[in-house]
Amino acid sequence: MKKFIIALSFVSIASVFNKANAQCDTIANICAKHIISTFISDGQQYRALLLNSEETAEFQTTFFGETTYRIAACSGTSDGNLIFNIYDQDRHLLFTNRDKKNAPYWDFKVKSTLETIIEAQLDANRNPGSGCAVMLIGFKQK
Amino acid sequence: MKIHKKILNKNVLAFTIAVSLLSSCGDKKEDVNKDELVETVDTVKTSVLNVGGELFSVPSPIQTALLIQKSGISYDKSTLHASNKVNTFTTDFSKSLNLGIYGADLGYVSLYNQTQDALGYLASVKQLADKLGISAAFDASTMERIKNNVTNKDSMMVLVGIAYRGSDAYLKNNQRTGISSLILTGGWIESMHFSVTAYKTKPSEGVRFRIAEQKQALGSLIKILSVSTEAEVTALTAQLTELSKIYDGIQFKYNFVEPVTDTTKKLTYINSTTEVIVSDEQIALITDKIKEIRNKIINASQS
Repeated sequence: MKKFIIALSFVSIASVFNKANAQCDTIANICAKHIISTFISDGQQYRALLLNSEETAEFQTTFFGETTYRIAACSGTSDGNLIFNIYDQDRHLLFTNRDKKNAPYWDFKVKSTLETIIEAQLDANRNPGSGCAVMLIGFKQK
Repeated sequence: MKIHKKILNKNVLAFTIAVSLLSSCGDKKEDVNKDELVETVDTVKTSVLNVGGELFSVPSPIQTALLIQKSGISYDKSTLHASNKVNTFTTDFSKSLNLGIYGADLGYVSLYNQTQDALGYLASVKQLADKLGISAAFDASTMERIKNNVTNKDSMMVLVGIAYRGSDAYLKNNQRTGISSLILTGGWIESMHFSVTAYKTKPSEGVRFRIAEQKQALGSLIKILSVSTEAEVTALTAQLTELSKIYDGIQFKYNFVEPVTDTTKKLTYINSTTEVIVSDEQIALITDKIKEIRNKIINASQS
C-alpha cells in the first residue's frame, strides 16, 4: 500500500508537472507576441509558478545604457493578470504596471547602465488562485 | 527568479494527488475558460524553476556584438571560433559550452551580413545540438526561418534570439538546466571575447565600460554553475570566480534620477546614471583571464 501511494504520488507529481509546463509554454507563446520584431530577444525565458497573489517572483538583470528594452509580463491566456515592478539597486521604484492597468508590456529607454531587480506577482483581483508567471525581455539599440 | 513565500504548503502529497486528479478531470473546463490559470503545488514550482528555486539573467551576446559594430570595428573572422571543430568535442560539457560560443558567433556573423559564414555557424549549432541529443530544443521551423533569412541581417538577429529563447525554455522544461547553464556561459564568454578583442583593436569608452559592466552577469553565471558538483563544471566555476575577483576592484558610482513615463507611448525613460571606474590594468587582467578560459573551452579536445 505504501509503495502504491509513493508510486501514485510520483505519477501525480509528473502529471501536474507536465501540465504546468504545458500551461507555461502556452503563456510564453502568447507573451512572445508582445516582443515584436523590432526587438531582439535576450534568449531567455523567465518563468515561475506562483501559488497565490502574495508570492513574488524576482530576478536581477543589467539594463545597458543607450538601449531600449521591452519587458513583457504574462499569466493566464489574457493580458493584465500579472503585476510587475522594476527597482534599481537601491530599491527605488523605477516602474510599476500596477497603475497602468497591468499593461502586459512596456518599453524602457535606458540612458546609462544600471542594475535592476524585476519583481512579478499575480493580481489578486484577477487571479483568485495560482498561476504561471512568464516574463520576456527584448532589446534594441537606441 | 527568486520566490518569496508567505504561505507554506502542508500535506503536499495529499494535495498533489488531489490537484492531479482534479486537473485531469478539468481538461474540458480548460477548453471552456481559457483564461483559467493552472492549479499547481509547491513541489512542482521548485522543479520548474531554474537553479535552486532561482532564475538568473545573462545578457545576450548579440547585444555586445551590436555595440562592437556600432563602435566602428570591422568584421574579423579570425576573432571567431572555427566552425569546423564540432567533431572534436566529446563530452556534454564541452559540447554545451561550444554550442553557446557558436550561437554567439552566429549572431556576430549575421550582424555583419556574412551569409556564407552564417550558414557555417548555423550548421555547427545544429550538429552540436544533435550530438547533445537536444535537437528538439531548436525548433525546426525557427531554424528553417533562420536559413531562409540568412541574407537579412535584421531578421537574423531577431530569429537567433528567438531560437535561443526557445532552447532555453525547452532545456528548463526537460530538467536539463545543466546544459542550459553551460550554453549561456559559452555565449557570455564569447561575447566577452568579442569585447576584449575589439577593445584591443580599437579602444573606445563604450566597449571599455561594457566589459566592466558585466559584473552582475558574471555573478549570475557563477551562481548557476555552482549548483553542479561535476569536476569539469567546478573547475570552470573556479576560473570564473578568479575572474570575479578582478571585477571586485571595479567601482560603480550610481546616481538615482527620477524616471519619466510617457503613458501614451508605453515608454519610460530611465535617467539614472552610473559612473564606472575601471583601470587599464583591470581591463588587461580581464582580457587575459577571458583568453585563458575561452582557449580551454575551444581546445577542449586537446586537453
